[in-house]
Amino acid sequence: MADDLRRVTELDRLIHEPARLLIVTILASVASADFLFLQRETGLTKGNLSAHLSKLEEAGYVKIEKTFKGKLPLTVCKLTAPGKKALTQYRRQLQDFIQKTS
Amino acid sequence: MDNNFHDVERRLKRYWYTDGIGELICGGIFLLLGVYFALQQYFGDGSPAGAILQSSLVIFLIAAIFWGRRLINLLKTRFTYPRTGYVEYHTAEKNTLWRIFTAAIAMAVAMFSVMIARKFDAIDSTVALTGVLVSVILLVNQVWSSRVPRFYILSAAALILGIVLSISGLPDGYNLGMFYGLMGIAFSISGGLTLQRYLKENPLPVDVERQNG
Repeated sequence: MADDLRRVTELDRLIHEPARLLIVTILASVASADFLFLQRETGLTKGNLSAHLSKLEEAGYVKIEKTFKGKLPLTVCKLTAPGKKALTQYRRQLQDFIQKTS
Repeated sequence: MDNNFHDVERRLKRYWYTDGIGELICGGIFLLLGVYFALQQYFGDGSPAGAILQSSLVIFLIAAIFWGRRLINLLKTRFTYPRTGYVEYHTAEKNTLWRIFTAAIAMAVAMFSVMIARKFDAIDSTVALTGVLVSVILLVNQVWSSRVPRFYILSAAALILGIVLSISGLPDGYNLGMFYGLMGIAFSISGGLTLQRYLKENPLPVDVERQNG
């Protein structure tokens, strides 16, 4: 039992941070979203969101691309395959922990 | 947990309808369809104009959908994305299968309705079928997937309008023209009011350089 519970320490801390978990969850539900949309949905400040996105990009979980939609410049964020896999694993671990302790 | 994820997806899907632009364009297409069917009835099948109109319905529909989508993209790029951001949705295979399933159900319901309606000579089965089809498609495709409340009202309006016009006694073409025309007005009003509210609640950000990533 103790070993099972200790597995919670193996949770991906990058995703486990609440703001990043929210960002990753939103990106998992869509094909891609731009910076403004993420800022409005998460309620984070520009600087805060930027910092979290940088961490996720460094880890290879999110891909950030500066592009244009017509004449409108956009910073578009997309969850990568490793990012999706990391989120799925995180959710499975958390679900497992909740089931064992409820 | 998977159910909660589906709720997140559904909530994010509602964002596409938040500005009412889709409904406005759909309203415009319906209004054009209304004029099309009314003209077809007016000219009659025997006239050259009537024959041209009859043979061009498919081209008209394809052109309307093509230009409609382009116009929606254009308007969203101009009004929506600078205010509340840009989202691209998954076009997963399961969505395509769901849409095919929805269309099949709608066709089956509509065919069954026509079979029943044909037993009564006083009923214009074409407009009744159209009303049921539009209502079912709205209900299953839009309401079920995104749960936008105003689509319940539009779905009910389509059904009621189809039934009322089917017993109105007007010639078939005018009935169909009236149906699409009135539904076009309903969609346009719904979309227009939604867009008006959206623009009021979401002014353009002060700083033009909104991308600070």
